[in-house]
Amino acid sequence: MIDATRRTLEAELLNWIGEDPWQRDPERFERLALGLFAFQYSNCPPYARFCDSLERAPGGVRTSDEIPAVPTGAFKEFDLRCFPAEETVLTFRTSGTATERRGQLHLDTLEVYEASLLASLQKAFLTDLMGNQPTLRFLAPSPLESPDSSLTHMFETLRIAEGSATSAYDLREGELDLESLSQAVSEAQQSASPLVLAGTSFAFVHFLDAIATDPALSTEGRWRLPQGSRILETGGFKGRSREIPREVLRSELAGRFELAEERIINQYGMTELGSQFYDSTLLDPNGPRRKLIPPWTRVRLVDPESGRDVAPGEVGLIVIHDLANTGSIAALQTADLGRALLNEKGEMFGFDVLGREAGAEARGCSIAVDVMLEASGGGASE
Amino acid sequence: MSRLEIEWPDAGAERVRAARGRLLQARDRLREQSFEDRLSVITQILGDWTAPDSPWRRELSASLAAETDFSAGTVSEGLDSALRAWDPQRFAQCARHELISPGRTLASYEWTTVVAGGTIPMPTLLSVLISLTTGSPVLLKETSKDPVTASLLARSISARDESLGRCFEHLSVTSTDTEALREVLSAPCIVATGSDETIRSISSSLSPTQHFVAYGHRFSIALIGPQIANHSTLLNQAAQGLALDVARWDQSGCLSPALAYIVDGPESIAREFVTATADALETLSTNMPRGDVDANSRAAIGTERAEARMRAASGSAMLIEGSNHTIILEGDALPRPAPLHRFLRVMPIDSLSALNQALTPFSGHLSNIAMSGFERQPRDHQGSSDMIRLMNRLSDLGVSRVTVPGCMQTPPIDWPHDGLPLFTPVARFVQSAFVVD
Repeated sequence: MIDATRRTLEAELLNWIGEDPWQRDPERFERLALGLFAFQYSNCPPYARFCDSLERAPGGVRTSDEIPAVPTGAFKEFDLRCFPAEETVLTFRTSGTATERRGQLHLDTLEVYEASLLASLQKAFLTDLMGNQPTLRFLAPSPLESPDSSLTHMFETLRIAEGSATSAYDLREGELDLESLSQAVSEAQQSASPLVLAGTSFAFVHFLDAIATDPALSTEGRWRLPQGSRILETGGFKGRSREIPREVLRSELAGRFELAEERIINQYGMTELGSQFYDSTLLDPNGPRRKLIPPWTRVRLVDPESGRDVAPGEVGLIVIHDLANTGSIAALQTADLGRALLNEKGEMFGFDVLGREAGAEARGCSIAVDVMLEASGGGASE
Repeated sequence: MSRLEIEWPDAGAERVRAARGRLLQARDRLREQSFEDRLSVITQILGDWTAPDSPWRRELSASLAAETDFSAGTVSEGLDSALRAWDPQRFAQCARHELISPGRTLASYEWTTVVAGGTIPMPTLLSVLISLTTGSPVLLKETSKDPVTASLLARSISARDESLGRCFEHLSVTSTDTEALREVLSAPCIVATGSDETIRSISSSLSPTQHFVAYGHRFSIALIGPQIANHSTLLNQAAQGLALDVARWDQSGCLSPALAYIVDGPESIAREFVTATADALETLSTNMPRGDVDANSRAAIGTERAEARMRAASGSAMLIEGSNHTIILEGDALPRPAPLHRFLRVMPIDSLSALNQALTPFSGHLSNIAMSGFERQPRDHQGSSDMIRLMNRLSDLGVSRVTVPGCMQTPPIDWPHDGLPLFTPVARFVQSAFVVD
């Protein structure tokens, strides 16, 4: 049974998500954010204790920027839900092995969650294909294989809402089914219909590696995608494939599928979030590549130690305020570094997520314990 | 008038080939020198570095402070304390003990490549002097993190013995210059320090006839025993020592403690210990401030602090945030990231047998252990067997040195790095029925 306050907030949020065109509305954002904060403070005891320890309870918080952001790692340690556990309808878990602690996002309703993810996918990725039922092929496990994967759920939501009958998953039991994927590409070529590929970054690396080592699979034009096709890649490599810079992955995919690079976009998202952020290049092919920010979310870049906003354009930790996280916590501090992109007026009109290599420095002989544990196959990592 | 500059495509490789050529020429002179003469010169060079008023050390200290992220105070203290612990005579004794044996002759490698890694200069200094002692000329591939140690070392060698100085070449090679890297790694003996990935990469490029000595990435931990509850002096000594170990080189060495376990200690004592360690770190930061921290490490520290704040708010952790350090007393011993740069996680653990379990995932990655607050002479049988089991376990896990807090970064010169002796890993020997005078 959803709380009445939350229901009111969600109704307004759903209206906003459904608007076309999207528009930023700071006043509306502030009102919803503060209302949601008061609700989440009252209904999530670990969050309330955290806010109290920072002396930032709802009565004393005047703007959304003052709302305490929970580190995403806390989803591994705390039950961050604002409803009784028995009302949970779905739990998404971060990736990891059976022995690792995994972050969990509990949901008691999918209405806002799916509305948010679908709106962003339609707006930033499907664009002109929306409503045309294109064939979607996913380089990701199916819902049967990964019922607790938020990424798979997102793909499945998209498939049901927008995909043709031949849309399907081409990753089975961890193995890429090149035959079925090749068949889908071939059919798209014959019908000259756009094909939409979406999957994890490491699955695409496996695809590239498999093609490169098998001459029979790399014949001229075999993977050429018809006009209007596009690719979405997301997530890191997490030790599941060789790691390559995002720009290199994009360039290699563009070469293999004979697509313009602006038709290959990256999604920045995480299990703990209800909303996602997509590269701008399908909507704005001539502008700088950046992550677009849906209006019901706000992205800040903060100094990792002080928590204060960095100067515009400086590198900072990405803090996301996602109003679609109604049943958990809306304000999240990620572990990722990013940089705001500013338009001519000096306003933030997107952001960049910086890879580990940006500014990275060898730690000398010593190394973080988590990296050690990853190397020995025993520890916690997402 | 414009100037035309032409960079040959294989300029890097050519530099390496030229350096190798010079080393092979210099080697003849090295072979003419007796082992004792060579050892005597190298011992003197070592003495030049370890002397209290060493101009080489002063110059290195100033250069490292200028060229690296470490603060001047950290570099100065780190170099002074580490080199003070090096005894040149002990080096010489160790060389004789390991390299001179009746019935076999020391036969050096034609040349040795040392691939430096990390940011701390001591391993670089020692690796070069060890190989020279065996009679092998050395090509050092510098680390980008330390562009100064090699040239100073070269000058200090030449100042004592010019012909020995010609047996040492150093150069920097970018990771993208594959041709030059191939030349660097063509030595018959290669000594490398670096990440597991680097070690794997080097290893895969070598032929079976090449000799490879690898020092991979490791970390160290501190174990604080129940005795600190009974002796406040012991508690304070351990806290101050551990703080010094954390502050030295900003935790960037494999001898730095990344974690500390408090074994079988009441929570109040654990809190007292953590507070004392934080106070000591605060005091140390006056003369040894933390150096610059790169963006990713700052992000990692910020993230871990935020998560600890959340646990602290729920009463399951205690977080002390200083301007130069972070200490977290956890409520459990679950593995969590250690971002370093003076970031210490202290974890309670009920017993030595539970500690055995907790350390298992670190197998093969542990270097040094600092221990304080344990019975040296266990009073009861149970204690005794637990301690024996712990020591055996540490040995099984690959620990190569057990010391006390405050001494982790200052091992004696002959400590068995990664469990290996000092000289023999880079030496060759010949046994012959014929004696040549």
